[in-house]
Amino acid sequence: MAWISKNWAMSGIIAGLIVTLKHVLHIGNRPTVTVQYPYERMKVSPRFRGLHAVDENACIGCGICEINCPNSTIQIVKYNTKWYPQVNIGMCLFCGLCVDVCPMNAMKMTGNYELADYTRESLVYGPDRLLFNKEVKQ
Amino acid sequence: MIANAYELIVYILTLFRVYEPLLNVFQALGAEYVLRIIIVLVEIAVLFVFVLLTVMFLTWMERKVVAMVQSRYGPMVTGPRGLLQPVMDGVKLIGKEDIIPAKADRWIFTLAPFIVFIPALLVFIPLPFGESLIISDLRVGLLYIIAISAISPIAILLAGWASNNKYSLMGAMRAVAQDISYTIPLALAAIAVVLLTGSLSMVDIVNAQGGAWFGVIPQWFIFIQPLGFILFLIASIAEMGRIPFDFQESESELVAGFFTEYSGMKFAMFFLAEYAHLFAVSGIVVTLFLGGWTGPVLPFIPVQITSLVYFLIKTYAVIFFAMWLRDTVPRVRIDQLLNLGWKIMVPLALLNLLVTGFLVTAGVMV
Repeated sequence: MAWISKNWAMSGIIAGLIVTLKHVLHIGNRPTVTVQYPYERMKVSPRFRGLHAVDENACIGCGICEINCPNSTIQIVKYNTKWYPQVNIGMCLFCGLCVDVCPMNAMKMTGNYELADYTRESLVYGPDRLLFNKEVKQ
Repeated sequence: MIANAYELIVYILTLFRVYEPLLNVFQALGAEYVLRIIIVLVEIAVLFVFVLLTVMFLTWMERKVVAMVQSRYGPMVTGPRGLLQPVMDGVKLIGKEDIIPAKADRWIFTLAPFIVFIPALLVFIPLPFGESLIISDLRVGLLYIIAISAISPIAILLAGWASNNKYSLMGAMRAVAQDISYTIPLALAAIAVVLLTGSLSMVDIVNAQGGAWFGVIPQWFIFIQPLGFILFLIASIAEMGRIPFDFQESESELVAGFFTEYSGMKFAMFFLAEYAHLFAVSGIVVTLFLGGWTGPVLPFIPVQITSLVYFLIKTYAVIFFAMWLRDTVPRVRIDQLLNLGWKIMVPLALLNLLVTGFLVTAGVMV
């Protein structure tokens, strides 16, 4: 009986009801926070570490990224008479060391995070899928 | 004056000049009762479809309200704003395997969902959805409703016992204890209303609330019986077994309570019965305390339609309150539940009844 005589007006319940009603009516800073993923996407931050990209003109094929990769994800392969890295996304831990060590700043990581695939072979991203041409601004 | 849905159907058929020829055909065959039976079956089919559609809508609404409280969207993909989600849930549940545990009592295990489901539909028979939109205006309507809803603890106990599972049995025991403790304040709060109207008929109760004080404030019994309204609302939420009092299926303690072992369509029947019960109880609250289908009369629109709209608006307001409460408060303990029921609600209901009876006898309230 003691707990009801203190709370005979049910003020705690009423306060709670008001809080939940504020959420229902979006009073104050209470927006709907769900992102409807396949239809709308969250904006990733600029430093997000997603799929790699390699500058076709800057890369010198030196292999420092290959040496520094902790999971031996990167291999240097020949592509169109030059040497470029090939990344096995299945083993990559997205640490970003390859980007840090690149002497020419040719390697970067994009915001692409939808990398699920059906076969292990298709997880190996060769230069044909990694290279991009930087627009040279003179 | 059209008294019930049967007469309404006859009236509509007469309006389209169909009833007389039909009646003549059946009278020529000497089987006038067949026409009556057909009309009654049509009413019941309409009621059944209406209740099932409402129940489907309520499952959607429940998920939406929970989502809104939790700053989410809820179902959005199936249909516009996820409105077809209940249909997909139904298809999924029909496709599920119908499991009967090896050590269960097969006959009772199969029977229990039906015994839960059928009273949940029978409750709607004396419930006035609007002016003359009532299947049958029983003179003991309120007693009938309380008696019919008292069947469900038996079915719950059957389900819990037949499952041969400790969680099911515990859930069933708790549900029965809870239902029995809360039916008493529920009935006592309803009797106070009966004292005011002098009738158990739901239509008479609604008609008694038809007027207005000073032409503005509607003469709803919530204003005469505020304590009775609160007691009835709490007791009916407890009887439904919704969240502040959901001991029958407390997920964190018993897996799912008495329907732990149920799957497929049998589970769906418990689920449908729960939401049909929610709709019925909200309708009863509206009928007893919130003026039922009464409301301002609009010109050019048949009173049957406006009254149905008023009834549904009020009912959905009560349903929204129940859902809102469900999303706000946590579950109380079982001892708190029984303390609240027996030590507080029953004495308060008796007090309410005493004061009401005194005032009615003294001629203050009529």
